[in-house]
Amino acid sequence: MSWGPNFMYYHCPSCGKKFKFQQDMIPELGDDFGRCPDCGEMGVFEHDGARTLDDNEYFEVE
Amino acid sequence: MSDLKNKRIITAALTGAWPKKENNPNVPMTPSEIADDVYAAWKEGAAIAHLHMRDDEGNGTMDHLKFAETLRLIKERYPECDIILNLTTSGDIYATDDTRVLHVKELKPEMASYDCGSMNWLNFGLFLNSPKFLEDCGRIFKENNVKPEIECFDPGMIGNAAYYLKKGVLEGPLHFQFCMGCANGIPGSLKNLLFMKETADQLIGKGNYTWSAFGVGHSAMEVMYAAIALGGSIRVGMEDNVMYSKGVLAESNAQLIARAARVIREYGCEPATPDEARQILGLKK
Ligand SMILES: [Zn+2]
Repeated sequence: MSWGPNFMYYHCPSCGKKFKFQQDMIPELGDDFGRCPDCGEMGVFEHDGARTLDDNEYFEVE
Repeated sequence: MSDLKNKRIITAALTGAWPKKENNPNVPMTPSEIADDVYAAWKEGAAIAHLHMRDDEGNGTMDHLKFAETLRLIKERYPECDIILNLTTSGDIYATDDTRVLHVKELKPEMASYDCGSMNWLNFGLFLNSPKFLEDCGRIFKENNVKPEIECFDPGMIGNAAYYLKKGVLEGPLHFQFCMGCANGIPGSLKNLLFMKETADQLIGKGNYTWSAFGVGHSAMEVMYAAIALGGSIRVGMEDNVMYSKGVLAESNAQLIARAARVIREYGCEPATPDEARQILGLKK
């Protein structure tokens, strides 16, 4: 049984961009995990889980 | 029959317990939809169909009647389809241990999944595979001539499989499914896949087992290419990935399987037919 990726969903406190990180990127991204891909600001964590219906509104950072 | 060394098995994981029509309208949910997808997967080169069922609300269920209905429809609609059926024993984290194996006893599929350890499920629940369940499962599989697909979400689960092999609960040669990138399992990457394989080489012994792998989300293609390059087989389908590529929903399971078959061929191998897969896995049909 798998369940697809687990995402952590964020928005940027500076520019408002919505973005998400797949949980298993933590080791690869280290301190960059959770940061806004545009301005580098640490995102505000919203929730995590399997893909949500508004998933595509959140830019996936890899 | 041509050289089996050059054959790679495509397992089609069509539904899973999680994605719903809202996530991708093309996920097959009913026995009828699943039966049609099994046939389409077989036509595109899948040798094994890994099946999950859903209840009428679309939630994962271990209802043995849904499994029976699906198998009946496959047989009735597509009598020529000789795909290996691999039924999950982990389709609902709230199911009892008895419910999880009832369909295995009743339907005696050629294969069924065997999740070789416990873990946190998506950070909200528990995916429990207790020692008693794993011992019972091993016995029931042997009694019913069902080959386990040993799903390992981290290297420790390979260690657990080695233990059950030594104990006689499992019988060799084992067939592993390395499940990469799931929450709280091993992250999906080429490096980690190599580590899983080396762990199995060390614990089980090179040449004493067969293996397949998949990555969920971002690592899907990386794990697919790496598995083929390392001599393994692959699993694809909407259980593991509802996206075809970043931001693009998969049109169908068949689309994902067709790509997997292309990748295998471009590498210089061939997708195994179900009968070739039976030989590779040592199944006695
Ligand atoms: Zn920003």
